[in-house]
Parts: sequence; C-alpha cells; structure tokens
Amino acid sequence: MASTLSMNGEDPVERPDQIRAIIGGLERYNPQAAEVLEAYLAQQCEQKFCDCNANRALLKLYQLNPDRIKDEVVTNVLVKTMTQFPSPQFDLALHLLSPANAKPGPPGKPTSDLAEAVGKLRALNAHLESANYAQFWATLDNDTDDIYADLTTDIQGFEEIIRVRIAQLVSQSFREISVSVLESWLGLNSEEEVVNFVTETCGWKVEGGVVQIPKNAENEAKKTEIREDVNVDMFSRVIKRSWEETA
Amino acid sequence: MSAFQQGMAPVRAMGDVDSDVEEEALVADYKEQVQYGEDDMAELDQQALAQAADDLQARLVQAAQPLDFQATLEAKFQSYDNYCSLFHYILNSEGPVELEPPSYYWAWDVIDEFIYQFNTFSTYRARIARQGNNEEEAQFLRDAPNTWGCYSVLNVLYSLIQKSQIIEQLGAMKRNEDPALVAGPYGTKNLYRMLGYFSIIGLLRVHCLLGDFSLALKTLDDIELNKKAMFARVMAAHFTTYYYVGFSYMMMRRYADALRMFSHILIYVSRTKNFQKNAQYDSIAKKNDQMLALIAICVAFHPTRLDDTIHTALREKFGDELLKLQRGGPESLPVYEELFKKACPKFISPVPPNFDVPESNIDPMDHHLSIFMEEVKTNMFSPIIRSYLRLYTTMDLKKLAGFLDVQPDELRAMLLVNKQRTKQVRWTEGGLLEGEWVNTSDLDYALQGDLIHISEAKMGRKLVDWYLRNLSRTYA
Repeated sequence: MASTLSMNGEDPVERPDQIRAIIGGLERYNPQAAEVLEAYLAQQCEQKFCDCNANRALLKLYQLNPDRIKDEVVTNVLVKTMTQFPSPQFDLALHLLSPANAKPGPPGKPTSDLAEAVGKLRALNAHLESANYAQFWATLDNDTDDIYADLTTDIQGFEEIIRVRIAQLVSQSFREISVSVLESWLGLNSEEEVVNFVTETCGWKVEGGVVQIPKNAENEAKKTEIREDVNVDMFSRVIKRSWEETA
Repeated sequence: MSAFQQGMAPVRAMGDVDSDVEEEALVADYKEQVQYGEDDMAELDQQALAQAADDLQARLVQAAQPLDFQATLEAKFQSYDNYCSLFHYILNSEGPVELEPPSYYWAWDVIDEFIYQFNTFSTYRARIARQGNNEEEAQFLRDAPNTWGCYSVLNVLYSLIQKSQIIEQLGAMKRNEDPALVAGPYGTKNLYRMLGYFSIIGLLRVHCLLGDFSLALKTLDDIELNKKAMFARVMAAHFTTYYYVGFSYMMMRRYADALRMFSHILIYVSRTKNFQKNAQYDSIAKKNDQMLALIAICVAFHPTRLDDTIHTALREKFGDELLKLQRGGPESLPVYEELFKKACPKFISPVPPNFDVPESNIDPMDHHLSIFMEEVKTNMFSPIIRSYLRLYTTMDLKKLAGFLDVQPDELRAMLLVNKQRTKQVRWTEGGLLEGEWVNTSDLDYALQGDLIHISEAKMGRKLVDWYLRNLSRTYA
C-alpha cells in the first residue's frame, strides 16, 4: 500500500496551470490572487488532495495583507497540512501566521477566535507528529463544544485520510501488530471494524487477533554494510601527477 | 512603485553641517580602498557633467555605507528616502543609467545594508510598540506605516532582478551559453547585473526573516552553490548565503542538508581566516559561532560524523551544550532554546505592529521558536531510544518499557517517532528544494507485535581518504 499511495502534498500533479503561474511568479504578491487561491483550497478540501505550496502562497498574502484574513481559510489550510504528517508542512504554515494568531494568550486574557482555533489545531497536530494516535482520536471524540467538528467540517473525509495515513505509517514499522493496538490507533470502535478496515482498505490478513503486514522495504530492518564506493576519479589527481612527473 | 517619490533629491541628515566635508573624505577613502583609477574618473566626467557624476558616485558609495548604530529615527527615515530615490533613479530612468559600480563589492554592500536597515528598523518599530512608553516616536511611526514597508523592500529586490534579467542570464550560463545574449539593455551593464544578482540573495534573506523558509530556498533555484558562483568572490555574500540556506533547511527538518551547508562554509572560513581584515573578521566570527550552535542542534537531531575541524571547534565552543543535546530528554529543552535564540536570524513581522495594544505584539522570534520547540519536544526521547536499541538485536517492547520506566504505549510512540524521523529528504541535484527520501540512520528496526528486531548498518573502513592524504604527504 505504501507504494501506491502517493504522498506529494507539496507539489501535487493536480495543480492547474493558473495556480502554477500565480505561485511561480510575482502574481503571488497580488492581493487579488487570494480569491483564486481560496477557491483552489476549497477544491482541495473537496477532492481530497493537498497543495501545501499553493496554500502557503495564500497564507503569505494574508501575512502581507492582514485585512484579507479569513479565519476559516486559515484553519482549513492548517487542517489540510495536518493530513501530511509526519512532515514539516504544518509547521511551515504556522510560521507564516502572525504571532498573535498562532496561539491563544495566557488564561483569562481575551484572544481572537482564530488564535483559539489555531491553538486547538496545534494540540491535535502534536498528537499526530508524536505518534500518539490514540490521544489524537480521544481529543477529537472529546469535543464537547463541537470545536473540532467545526474546524474539520470542510475537509472531506478528514478522519478517513488520517486513518489511512496511520495505517500506512504502521506498515512501515510493523510486521505484525495486535488488533487491539490498531483499534485505538485507528480510532475505530470494535475489533470487527479493525478487521474490516485492514482487510478491505489495506489488503492485510488477520490471524488470531494479530494483523499480518506484508514485507516491504521499510519493515524488514535488513542488516547492511555500508561500503565505500571507490572509483578511478578519486585518484585522478594522483595519477595525473605521477604521469606528468614520469613523462 | 508607490513608495517611490518622484524627483526626490537626496537630503542630508538633519543638523549635520559638516557632512559634505565628511562625505568627501569618505569618498576619497573608499576610492583609495578600491584603487579607483584616475582614468575611470576621467571617463565618467565625459559621460556627464562633472558635478552630477560626482554626486551620483557619492550616492552610490553612500548607499553601501552602514548607518550608525545609534542613528535617530529621523536618520532612519532619511536613509529610507535616500534608498528610494537611488533605486528609483536606477530603475525608472529612461533606459539604463550609465554608471559603473564603484567596486566589485559595492552591489553586495548596498543590498546587504538595505536589508540590514529594513531588518533593524522593523525590530526597532516592534520594540517601540511593545514597550509602549515612547508616545512621541510611536506617533511618528504610526503616521508612516509604509516607511521601510515590506512590500516596498520586496518590490525593490524583485524589480532589480527583473530589470537585470539576471534569472535569464544565469539560466544561459547554466546551459553554457553566452549570458549577454539574453541580458537585455540593462543586464549587460555591470551595475544592473550585479545588483540583480545580489538581490536574489537578498530575497533569500528577506523570506527567511519573514519565516517563509521554503520560498527562501526556492529563490535560489537559478544560482548554483559552488565555488564558481558570483557570490563566492565576495566573502560576506558567500557566508550570508550559506547561513540562510542552512537555517532554512534546518527549519524544514532537512538536517543532513543543513549540516552540509554549515560545514562547507565553516571549513572555507577556517581556510581563509588569515587573509581577512579585522573588522570583517569580527562579524564573521560572530556568525561562525552562530553556525556552530546550529550545527550542534542539527547533529543532535541527525547524528552523523562531522569534519574533524568542525568537530574540534564545536567541542571547544559548545561542548557541554552538545553533550546535553545528545543525551536528550526534558533536560535538553532549555539548551535547544538557548542555542536557537543565539543563532537564529533576527525575525521580523511584515506588517506594522499595533501601537494601541502593546501586549498584543509578540516578538516574532518567540513565535518561530515555539513552533521549532514543538518538534524538539516530539523528538526528545529519540537519543535515549537509540542508545538502548544499539545494545540488542532483538528486544521485548514491554521489557524495554520497564527499563525506560514508561508505558508500552508511550514506548511504541517513541519508536515510531524515531523511525519516522530517520527518513529525510536529502538533496542530490537540481534546485535546493529538490531531493530524495533517504534513510539517514545506521540504526533500523521493525516490530513484530511486541518484539523489536534491530539491525545496525556496519560501516566498512573508509580507505580512499586515508590513501590520498598519505600519498600527498609522502610525495609532496
């Protein structure tokens, strides 16, 4: 599965020429380009692909023109980058936010709604980056004010994208894993759901409560010896000199 | 360009009666430094009226001079206006202006000083807003939101790049074609070509200061980082380029690439140390230490063998710190913070601060640091995990969790984090952002349920280097 699922959230093949022209030229500084990039983000949210590079161009426009900031666009960009874990994408987006919008202030001090939302998303992202997948789902489920539900509502199939990504990462580290561990990591509610997911979506086998993951380059941990590549070029100067001296 | 006032004559700093005399002295001094030939001057005189040429040359020289550290706000505003009128003259005259840059270093010095002043001005403005106790200056700054504005600075740099068609020229050079064919009427002139070239490096820096690390690296797409590059002839430019490229790589978690950049330039500096003049060397020494601090951070994230010269310098300068980073755990966090603060660029905000609510203005450095520290925290147990795994070929997860005094689930997360981070994008060819996913660690493992299978790549002996060194030693 790891090989078939392409993960190019930085420069995806889906990127249209119009967007390529904007982010590759000076048009990326034109405040009017924000509308085009916003529409493109909406398209990414619906069609389940991710163009982090173009989304950063949008955040950059917001950085330079704070009066244009749309809170829900900023949070949508962050949620989209979150699906790329583990990667620096979420951080790269955060770096472009104004410090005042990037995290809520100390308790008791009023901060903007955006800062509150970004703080929530940072907490969620930290679970994914630190591979605390069970906590990620627990945080999502324990959403008493429906904040996370609101923040992720525009991103089609958010939970499914995360689940598939976790499974992919598991396949890169595990040869076998117990169904119960996977249940908490995939945020599923019964062993039956796990069995269904891994057999149908991942094509793995389950035997006696243990999920068998096919061999791949990542989960083999083969012994290797790193040898030095020796070629003639490395000695070219010595050879040249000795040639010149004898000649 | 909106910020450019039409037909502005350069006005001198207020209350500076002797500035004419001083400026003359300065010009004379500089001319001597760069061994300005009398012939060149004579030629210039023929091209324009003697007075006008002198004035313009003086302005060119002036633009490359550092502003006094304690310059008043008026002087900073004045300096901005001077830059605007100079760049306006260079960019918006009818056709290319017939001026020769005073020296090879001049174009770099101008761009460097221009960005440095933009940087310090933004920092100063933010501090006035944050402290909120200097109403007079705050009002002054509030009334002029576009002075040293981010859009104007970017505009100058991009305009110089476009006018000089430097991107096209560099492309032609890369294809081994004659750059003059694509240089256009402006780009064939030294003045434009060099300003355009160093504006690219200026952009790298500005993007990095604003926290846009990938765009910073993207900016250098057309410049090949090698000894033949134009910037390599100007030491300060060479140095600055590698610092910002290395830093941007680090922020993109490309530690192997960051280390390659820092190592390259530090080795180069150590080799040229003896020819550098004192004043220049001071600023280089400071940046040198900053890069060593960054190397410490990168090598903690990505353990690797360093060049001997660098390793020695690192142990001398940050020996204790490095040890703490390499040990990991919560105790390493303050050390990461300290080193980052010491070595990061002076980040700025691209928009004017809010003077009415002083406490709403957070230092951009704290912002970037907090994001960076998130990743540090995520990885802080990796050194500990690695040191244990090296001891075994197979290990039971619950047993190891017992050694480390953590829950099995926590250990699973740590194992995943460490394994995921050993894969990094590493540059092989093409633009700086290009690269391949490679496994950067000699330690690998996979889990079979709760059984950890560990394999360590063995390093074969490296003999080529040994042979070459001894051959040259014996037969030199």
